[in-house]
Amino acid sequence: MLSAMIAGAQWVDFPTPGVPRLADGKPNLTAPAPKTADGKPDLSGVWTTKAGYIGNIARDLKPGELSFQPWASELYKHRVETQGKEDPQAYCVLSGVPREHVVPYPFKILNSPGMIVILYEALHSYRQIFMDGRKLPKDPNPTWMGYSVGHWEGDTLVVNSSGFVDNNWLDNSGHPGTEAMKLTERFHRRDYGHIDLAITIDDPKAYTKPWTVNLEFNATPDTDLIEYVCDENEKDLKHLVGK
Amino acid sequence: MSVNKITAGLILVAGMVSAQWVNYPSAGIPRTKDGKPNLSGPAPRTKDGKPDLTGIWDVLHNRPCPPGGCDDMFIPQEFLNIGWSLKGGLPYQPWAAAIVKQRMSENRVTDPNAHCLPTGIVRMYTTPLYRKIVQTPGLVVILYEREAMYRQIFTDGRPLPEDPQPSWVGYSTGKWEGDTLVIQSSGFRDGIWLDSNGSPLTESGKITERIRRVNFGTLEIELTVNDPKAYTSPWTVKLTQLLKADTDLLDYYCVENEKDGPHLVAK
Repeated sequence: MLSAMIAGAQWVDFPTPGVPRLADGKPNLTAPAPKTADGKPDLSGVWTTKAGYIGNIARDLKPGELSFQPWASELYKHRVETQGKEDPQAYCVLSGVPREHVVPYPFKILNSPGMIVILYEALHSYRQIFMDGRKLPKDPNPTWMGYSVGHWEGDTLVVNSSGFVDNNWLDNSGHPGTEAMKLTERFHRRDYGHIDLAITIDDPKAYTKPWTVNLEFNATPDTDLIEYVCDENEKDLKHLVGK
Repeated sequence: MSVNKITAGLILVAGMVSAQWVNYPSAGIPRTKDGKPNLSGPAPRTKDGKPDLTGIWDVLHNRPCPPGGCDDMFIPQEFLNIGWSLKGGLPYQPWAAAIVKQRMSENRVTDPNAHCLPTGIVRMYTTPLYRKIVQTPGLVVILYEREAMYRQIFTDGRPLPEDPQPSWVGYSTGKWEGDTLVIQSSGFRDGIWLDSNGSPLTESGKITERIRRVNFGTLEIELTVNDPKAYTSPWTVKLTQLLKADTDLLDYYCVENEKDGPHLVAK
């Protein structure tokens, strides 16, 4: 939130080209979703996630839908009780996937031949989703963003990912993710202004069964990402003391 | 001055790689009969006929190995001194010459790079970690392995903003002049280092890059820095980038398990 306070200079307010507009010039967010030259839905643009999920990505799940393995339950309890003191993000390590989907900062989706790129304002990071038909690697180098391949099923972009680090936090409360985690994300641009995203988390090391969360992204036209550098003039860390 | 000290943070990553390397073959690369990339062929073009700068790019290995042997990563001359090829060196203003001298005498302890801060667009060309250019209609993006940084270059015809929010990467717009992508950038913040010597860039700095893909495997970049606050005249250097085929960017996070900071001490 600091960035709002230090913005003394000009905000990024260049009008986004190609946005359908109402008579008063405002973006028409219920206009049909745009398509790329090959007829697929075009997900490109600046987006902001629907607020409320950064604290607990699983907040909408019914009892029993999320079932921890015993050690993961203990770890989650510990992370909540220590108020996120060990959260890697507090140390300016990036959020990773799927946490980036619930972080309340804008991100930008880009199409390029054979690849979709997502640029994140928060902590300044990016993610590549390969669309060139390659398979997931068998033994990828573990990373925060994982390794992602996507394909289209009708108008839905289906992205499969694996190769994640072993100490993942899926949200601020610390739902754990491990190296065994496999993600399936289904992106559907419902209209110009909205993407519905269903994420299925299949991590048998941490959870007894897969679970799914449903999120929504809102189009954020006529602006752009600004620079976010976590470890510059960082003052929070010494105040993270747990209880 | 040991280069190992300068790059201690950079080199660690090589030791940590245990799983599969990223070795998926790059699409669309011309190959010789034995399957090796043919990097001397013509530069590829996008659908609109412009040269396509897309690809993963490495620094030119133009610095002889130190007496102790080569480092894991090749550090180009420009990483140490961006003006190494200029007769007489960079045209520093007196205060800038003094601060470079001070930064070097202090073993570069205040180098933003060593403190895991962004390095800005000039050092992003000279840092020995890969970068990937992604060229899309209206926007060219450069993704950097280091710190998962990225940079946007707007090619949709917009002008540079008059009073941009100062940032490490600045604000960049590009347009094609023939087969050369000409990028104008401003909006930098004070405190940026252009090389390990600590050559400064200030808020008044403007940078012009003229990028040409001279063949499939080579980018030539003519970089002009016009920063009257720090330099007595604009100066231009040439940088070369070489295509890396059949690989991809890895995760590199300077702040994760960072152990160097306490060991950075001035003399």
